[in-house]
Amino acid sequence: MLEIKNLHVTVGGKAILKGLDFSIEAGQVHAIMGPNGSGKSTLGNVIAGREGYEVTQGEVLYKGKNLLELAPEVRACEGIFMAFQYPVEIPGVNNTYFLRAALNAQRKYRGEPELDSMEFLKLVREKLKILHINDDLLHRAVNEGFSGGEKKRNEIFQMAVLEPVLAILDETDSGLDIDALRLVAEGVNRLRSDDRAMIVITHYQRLLDHIVPDKVHVLADGKIVARGGAELALKLEEQGYTWLEQGGIQSLGAELRA
Amino acid sequence: MSALAQQWGESLRSATPAQGPRWLDELRLRASDQLTAHGLPQRKDEDWKYTPMRVLEKLNPAIAYHPGSENHFLEKGQTTERGLNGKWFSDPIFPAALLDKPDYEIRVYDGVLVGHEGSDRPGVTVLSLTEGLQRYESLLRKHIESVDISGSAQAFTALNTATLNQGLVIHIDQQVDAGTMLLRWALSGKAGPSIHNFRVFLLLGEGTRLQLIEQFESADHSGSALNVVVHVELGSNAVLDHLRLQNESENTVLMSSTRIDQAQGSRYLYAGFDLGGGLVRHELKTVFGGSGAHATFLGAFVLDNARHVDNHISVDHASPGCSSEQFFRGVLGGRSRGVFNGKALIRPGADESSVRQSSANLLLSPLAQIDTKPELEIYADEVEARHGATVGQLDEAAIFYMRSRGLGEAEAKRLLVAAFCRAVTDRLENQALAGRISQLIDQAMPSFTQEN
Repeated sequence: MLEIKNLHVTVGGKAILKGLDFSIEAGQVHAIMGPNGSGKSTLGNVIAGREGYEVTQGEVLYKGKNLLELAPEVRACEGIFMAFQYPVEIPGVNNTYFLRAALNAQRKYRGEPELDSMEFLKLVREKLKILHINDDLLHRAVNEGFSGGEKKRNEIFQMAVLEPVLAILDETDSGLDIDALRLVAEGVNRLRSDDRAMIVITHYQRLLDHIVPDKVHVLADGKIVARGGAELALKLEEQGYTWLEQGGIQSLGAELRA
Repeated sequence: MSALAQQWGESLRSATPAQGPRWLDELRLRASDQLTAHGLPQRKDEDWKYTPMRVLEKLNPAIAYHPGSENHFLEKGQTTERGLNGKWFSDPIFPAALLDKPDYEIRVYDGVLVGHEGSDRPGVTVLSLTEGLQRYESLLRKHIESVDISGSAQAFTALNTATLNQGLVIHIDQQVDAGTMLLRWALSGKAGPSIHNFRVFLLLGEGTRLQLIEQFESADHSGSALNVVVHVELGSNAVLDHLRLQNESENTVLMSSTRIDQAQGSRYLYAGFDLGGGLVRHELKTVFGGSGAHATFLGAFVLDNARHVDNHISVDHASPGCSSEQFFRGVLGGRSRGVFNGKALIRPGADESSVRQSSANLLLSPLAQIDTKPELEIYADEVEARHGATVGQLDEAAIFYMRSRGLGEAEAKRLLVAAFCRAVTDRLENQALAGRISQLIDQAMPSFTQEN
C-alpha cells in the first residue's frame, strides 16, 4: 500500500531523513520507534504533505502512485490520515461542522453523495459509542481548550469518522496519562481492519503494550536501522536508545538489522 | 481646494434656497460658506489622515437637490411610483421572517423618503423632516445646531447642513416599546453620479425600546454617494438596538456621522457590518450624560478589491459609572484598506468607568492595509480600561490541519475567516439574523486565489 524508497528529506537546509526505506501492506500495523530527532515526525509530515519538507531524493508510492505530487487534501481524499502529535486549535470552527465538511469533501472526491446533517449526526453517534467518547467534544470549537487527552481522543474520533486507508499516529501517546493512553489505544484497536494500514510513531514501548504491532521499525539518524516483531520494541525499552547508538545494533541478529 | 468642493460651492450658490424656519435658512447658508471656504477633508486633518478622497473625486458627484419634494410625508402604507411596491428596492437583505416581521418599514430612495408602513403603536411617531420641524421644532433645532460644521474635517456635515431639507424623524414617547423598525436605503445613480444628503433623528424617551435595522440595497454600480447625519437621543433607561449592514458596490460612497446623547441608565447597542462599498466612513460619537449608561459598538468588515472602510468610534465618559465596549473584526483582501479609530475619553470625576476596546484584523493579501488606532484618555480614578489591537494573517498550521482532513485550501481559508467574523455575529441576540449575516459575510469574502 505504501512504499518508501531511499527517502532523503531536508528541513530548512538540514538533512533529516537520509535514505529511509519502508513499506506497509493493508491490514497491518507497523510501529516506528526511535530517539528524539531521529526523523520520526518528519516522516509523518512528509506523508501527510506538510510544507517546508524538501524531498531531495527517493520516492514515496501510495497505492502505486507518486504520493509526493499530491496536495495534502488530495492525499486525505485518497485515504491518508495523520493523527497529529500536536492537534491544532481552531477557535470559532465547530468540531462537528468541520468534520462534516471534511467528510463531505472526501465523499465528493470519491463521487459519493454528501451526508446531510441528520445522516452525519447518526454516523457520529455510532462512532462515539464505539470509542466511548463523550459527545460534548462535538459542540466545541476544533480542539479549542481541549485537554491533552481530549485532543488525542478527538484525533482518533476524526479517524473513526473519516475511515482512512492509511493512518499515521504521530506520537499519539505523548502527553497522555495511563488511563487516557488505554482509551486511545482501545479506540485505535477498534479501527484495525483488514483493508486498513496503520503506522504508529512512538518513543515508548508503552503504547505498544496496548496496540500490538505486526512489525517494529527502528529509526535512527534518518534511516531505519533495525526491523523486527513486537519483541524488538521490548528489547529497545530494556536497553534504551543510547545502547542502539553505541553499537547495540550489532548485537541484534542479522535478520533484524536493516 | 479640490475641484469637487469648488463645484459643490458653485452649485450651492446657484440653488434655489430651501424653505424653512429662519434659523434653519441662516444655518444652511453658514454651512454652505464653511464648505466653500474650507473644501473637502485633507490629509492634514488628523481624523481624515487615512481616508483618501480619490474615490469620491473620481466619482465627481453633483449635489442632488430635492427641494420641496417632501412637503408632506406619504400616508402610512401609501405607495408612489417609487414607493413600497416600487421596483427600486430589490429583495430585502433581511427577509421579514428573520426579523419576526418588522413593526415598521421605512424606505429612503436617492435621499428621499418614499414610503413607510407598519403597525400603529401608540406613542410611536414617524415623520418626515418637514413634518418633524413643525411638530418638534425646538427639539430638532437643538440637535441640528449642535453639529460641528467648521473646517475641512467637517466638510460632510457642513454639506449635509447646507442642503438640509430631507430627513426622517422617529419619536418615541416614554415607556413605549416601539418594536423593530427596518430602514431601507437605496441609491439609483439614475441622474448620473450624485451625492444625496439625508438627516435622521431617533428620539427615544425615557424607558423606551427600539430595534432599528438599516440595510442598503442600491442597484449595482449606482455610482452615487450618500451623506447621512444621524442624531440619537436616548432618555434615561432607553434602549436602542441598532444594526446596520451594507454590501454596496465598489463605486458607492457612504458617509455617515452619528451623534448619540445618552441619559442615565440608557443603552446603545450598535452592530455595523461593512461588506462592500467603495469609500465608506462611519463616525459614531456617544456622550454619556448620566450615570450607569452603556454603549456597545460591534463591527465587522470584510473587504476585497480596492474598497475602503473607515470606522471612527468615540465615547465620551462624561458621567461616572458608565461602561463602553468597542469590538471590531476586520478582514482585508486585494488592495483594500480599513481604518479603525476607537477613542474613549474618561473625564475627571467619571469614576468607576469601564472601557473595553478590541480591534483584530486579518490581512489576506500583501497589498491590503489596516490602520488601527485605539486611543484612551483617562482622567478619572478607579477606571477599568482594557484595549487590544492585532493585525495578523491566517494561521498556516490551522490551514494545513484542515487540508490534511480533506478540505481544499480555499475552503479551509473560508472557514477560518468565517470563524474570525463569528466573534462578532455570535454576540447578536437574534441568532437567525446572525446566521443571515454570516451568509452575507461568506459571499463578501475575497476569492481565495493564489494572490490571496
